[in-house]
Amino acid sequence: MRSEQEANRAIERYADTVRRICMIHLKNHADTEDIFQNVFLKYVLSTTMFESEEHEKAWFIRVTINACRDLLRSFFRSRTVSLDTLLDQPAEMTENDRTVLDAVLALPPKYRDVVYLHYYEGYTAPQIGEILKKNVNTIYTLLTRAKQALRETLGGDDDA
Amino acid sequence: MRDELKTALDKVTADEALQQSTRAFLARQTGNYGAAKARPHTARRFAAAFACCALVAAGGTGYWAYFSPTCAISIDINPSVELSVNRFDKVIAVEGIGADGDALAETLDVRFLDYADALDSLLENPTVEDYLAEDEVLSIAVTGENAAQADAILTQAQTCTAGTKNVYCHAANAEEVEQAHEAGLSFGKYQAFLQLQALDPSVTPEDVQGLTMREIRDRIAALSGETPSTGHGAGQGNGAGAGQGQGNGQGAGAGNGQGSGAGNGQGRGSGNGAGQGYGAGSGGGQGKKSGQ
Repeated sequence: MRSEQEANRAIERYADTVRRICMIHLKNHADTEDIFQNVFLKYVLSTTMFESEEHEKAWFIRVTINACRDLLRSFFRSRTVSLDTLLDQPAEMTENDRTVLDAVLALPPKYRDVVYLHYYEGYTAPQIGEILKKNVNTIYTLLTRAKQALRETLGGDDDA
Repeated sequence: MRDELKTALDKVTADEALQQSTRAFLARQTGNYGAAKARPHTARRFAAAFACCALVAAGGTGYWAYFSPTCAISIDINPSVELSVNRFDKVIAVEGIGADGDALAETLDVRFLDYADALDSLLENPTVEDYLAEDEVLSIAVTGENAAQADAILTQAQTCTAGTKNVYCHAANAEEVEQAHEAGLSFGKYQAFLQLQALDPSVTPEDVQGLTMREIRDRIAALSGETPSTGHGAGQGNGAGAGQGQGNGQGAGAGNGQGSGAGNGQGRGSGNGAGQGYGAGSGGGQGKKSGQ
């Protein structure tokens, strides 16, 4: 079991990352809190030795995505739909920010992960394949389709 | 789009309240990171492990106590079997010695019976009854580290066999039994063999193995100049040869004859219930039968 110091350091360093992944998958604050608790408890109890910070970060991303999927897949969730979409979005978001986020949230869940990992975290397709445990070609396909869909909604050019 | 997305997502952060509640949750779940819970857990685990060990040890001791023989009852007619008896007076093993011993042991279903019941059922066994009916000699020898128990068993054996003739019961010690087994004989037969060997040093255990108790006793009798006794009990008669070799033993009707006579003959006889004593005279005398 890891120490309190390690746990606090991890929360400080990865809370935002976990929060962003929750945001693109979950719709309310209670679920987000659940995921936070699950992910960090898993970290505290895990005996995995991390070779580097990148390794540790990738671990957090993977565990968070899986936790979100598990939560969404659960029986209870599938029968109850929360309506408070993006309830606690920061106040300082501009109209443009909201439009972009709404466009991302409108994508099917499997596209959201690759969009987030590629555009925001800057991972390459092989790295994303590693994190999501998927074939690289699958990642390329998902990325291409996601880009296409976003372009349709947001219009304009893409970039990379 | 990359920049737009980055700008938008950068504004999504985990607020302090969320981080705080997560920290509180972790402390609660881990019992303040092991400080509070670790000890009771360890103690409980040790207690559980100790209980398991104690249980295994108790079971092991019980098993050992029940399955270690404290006494052995060696039974010989011609087939020889040995019953191992544990400290709870139960028969825990039946072992046949030699091929016909094994055959007899297989027909005996006395495992886990009290030794008294086992002896009863042994005497009622058809094979044993047949042998006894043919006038064979049955020898029951009891050995054991526990003298009190061995005595009790011997007494029980004598009681059981009181109504049966041609049965000898005696006690023995563990060393002799071990020697008997080394020679490949059961204890009763080994004793007879020793007697025979004293008279005829050329006899080997192998010679004796195939013989019945009756045959061995006959040979002993022949070598020692005795007429085989047909009786029951171990009487000692004394006949004395008269000058003419007319010994006369008085086997009292039921018993051990004490012969007396004039002369310097030396006689040994066995008297018994059926009353056959014997005398052998020497020194100018001729030993002759005496007693009746």
